[in-house]
Amino acid sequence: MKHRIRLALLATLVTGTAVAQDVTFSSNSFVQAWSPKTPGFSQNTAFPVTEYVGVDVAKLDGKDALSLHVYGWGMADLGEQTYIGGKNTGDLTYGYVQYDFKQANAQVRAGRFTVNQGLGPAPLDGFEARTDLVHGFMVSAFAGTPVVFKNYSSNDQNQVGYQQDFMFGGRLGWRAAKVGELGVSFLQDGLHPAQSLAVPAPVDYTRKQIAGDLKLVPVSFLDVTGRTVLDVSQNQIVAPNTSPSRIAEHDYKATAKLNEALALTATYVERNFFAYYAGTTLPNLFKQNEQGLFKATGASLVWTAVPGLQLVGDVRRTDRASYGTSTRAGVDGRYNLTDKHVLVGAGYHRINAGAAQSVNPLFPSYSLSHSEMRAWVMADRGPYTGSLDVIRLQYTDADNNPNLNGQSSETAVVASLGYKAKENLRVSGDLSAESNALYKNQVMALLRVQYQFGLAVKGGK
Amino acid sequence: MLKKFALLSVALGLGLMVACSWVSPKGSFAPTHPQALENGRPTCSDCHGTDRVTGSDKTFASFNHTEAFVANHKFAANQDPATCAACHAQSFCADCHGGKTALLPSVKLGNRPDRVSPHRTGYLTLHRIDGKIDPTGCFECHGRANNEKCTACHK
Repeated sequence: MKHRIRLALLATLVTGTAVAQDVTFSSNSFVQAWSPKTPGFSQNTAFPVTEYVGVDVAKLDGKDALSLHVYGWGMADLGEQTYIGGKNTGDLTYGYVQYDFKQANAQVRAGRFTVNQGLGPAPLDGFEARTDLVHGFMVSAFAGTPVVFKNYSSNDQNQVGYQQDFMFGGRLGWRAAKVGELGVSFLQDGLHPAQSLAVPAPVDYTRKQIAGDLKLVPVSFLDVTGRTVLDVSQNQIVAPNTSPSRIAEHDYKATAKLNEALALTATYVERNFFAYYAGTTLPNLFKQNEQGLFKATGASLVWTAVPGLQLVGDVRRTDRASYGTSTRAGVDGRYNLTDKHVLVGAGYHRINAGAAQSVNPLFPSYSLSHSEMRAWVMADRGPYTGSLDVIRLQYTDADNNPNLNGQSSETAVVASLGYKAKENLRVSGDLSAESNALYKNQVMALLRVQYQFGLAVKGGK
Repeated sequence: MLKKFALLSVALGLGLMVACSWVSPKGSFAPTHPQALENGRPTCSDCHGTDRVTGSDKTFASFNHTEAFVANHKFAANQDPATCAACHAQSFCADCHGGKTALLPSVKLGNRPDRVSPHRTGYLTLHRIDGKIDPTGCFECHGRANNEKCTACHK
C-alpha cells in the first residue's frame, strides 16, 4: 500500500475516532512456543508473538451511515524465525471508509478491502459502490490497485506487480420474490498481460473472467445456488495443438428441506485447470499446462433429530484426470446443550482414493486412501471456558507412501482453558500435542489475550 | 468554452437525475440483527418461519447456517454481503480470509473447535494427499495470495 494511502487512513482514523459516537477497538495477542522437530530443519525453539488489532468507528457523521474499519497484524519472532517473510513482519488486512445509505441498500466504500467476485476473495486498494435499482435490479462496481503479495519462488516479482497494476469489475443482478436472484459479473485483474508486452514475459499473471451466478428460492423448502465462471482472456499462453476449455468453474448446490427435521443437499463442481488457474502467482504448483479436469458430485443429509442436535451424513465423489476417482463418505454430528453451556461434536470420514505414482521403482504407486476421525467439546462455567479437540488420521498405505515416513496414523490433541476476567477481557491458553509423519511428537503452547472495548454488536460467535 | 461547460453540466445533471430515478425507493436491509443470538450456528427459520428477508426477497431458511450453507457461504458473501454484515463484523471473515496472515486460522481459533477451519492440527501431512485428490480446493485461498508458506517447498 502506498505511503500516502496509509497516511490518509491514519488521519481519518485519528479524526474519526475523535468525533465518532461509537468506537470499537479489539486486540488479540498471541504468544506461541514450540520446538520444531522437522528433520533437516533447525531444532531451536520458536517463540513468535503476534498481535491483531481492529478498530471500527461508526456514526462518524453523527448518524448510522459513515463508518471506518481498520484491521491488521504484526508479529515478532523472539526465537527461531517461523515466518517466511522475516522475523518482524505485519500487514494491513483491510482499512476502509464506508457510507451506508438508508435507501436501496446503497453503499460506497474506499480504501483497502476485499472483493468477492471472480474466483476467490481478492484484496484491493480502491473503491466500491453498489445500489439496488427499480424493478429488482441491482448494480455494483469496483476499481483500484490489486494488493500484490510477495511470491518468493518467483524470480520476477517485479513482473507480477507490473502486470497486476489495476483491477476493476462489477456485477449486475436481478432479484424477485418467489424466484431468487440472478447475476452476471465481470472481473479484470491486470492491464498488462504477458503476451502483450514488447518483450513477452514467460508467465501471465493477469486474468479476465465473466461469471453468472444464481440463487433460486421459489419456495421456502427449495434452494438452488451456484455459479459458472468463464476465463475470457485472449492472452493466456496455450500449449501448441491444444484447445483447453474456457470454463473455469461450474459450482452448484441444491438443497431441499424435506420436513422440519430433514434437509437434503446435492452438489456439483467442475473445474478446468487451464482456465481455473489463470493468473496464479504460484504457477509451479497450480499448473495451467496440466490441462486437467476436476469434477466432484456430492450429497448430504442433515437431520435435526431434536432441538440442538444435528447429524449430517455426506458422500462426495471426485474425479481428477491424473489421480483417478476418490470417494469421501462419513457422518458429522454436533449437539448444543444450551442450558448446560456445552457444545459437543464428532465426525468420521473414510476416503477411498486412487493411487498416486511414485518415483521409487520398487513401489511405483501408493494409495491415497485414509480415514479421518474427530471429536471435540466446548463448555463454559461462569467466567471459565474450556475446549478439547481430538483428531486422528489413519492412513492405508504408510509403507509405500513416501510422504508418511512409515507412520500409519497421526493423532493431534488441542486443549484450551480460558478465563473471562472482565466483560471485555479474556485470557486463554492452548496446549496442543501431535504425532505426525514430519514433526514426530511436537508440543506447542499458546497464550491468547483478547481485549475489546466499545459498543460492539457484531463480530461473529 | 463556457458553452461547452454549460452543456456538459446540463448533460451530467440530466444523467444524474435519470440515474437517480432508477434507484430503488425501498429501505435498506437492517444494519444489525435486533436481538443477540445464542452461541452456535443460527437456524434463521426457527424464528422467521417461511418469511422472506427484507431487501433480499429470499427466504430466511436459505440463510440457515447448516453444514451445506457453511461449506458454500461464498455464494451468500457475493450476493448478500449486507445480510452477512447484520451479524458478522468484517474481522470475522478476516479470521480465515486474510490475504496475508501470520497464524493459521486453526491456531488462532484453537479454543473454538466449533468454527470450521481446513488446517486443523495434523494437516501438514494430510495436505499432501488432499492436494492430489483436489488441488482446486487449495487454489481458492492460495492461488493468488497467502502463499508465502507454500513456496517454502513448492518452489
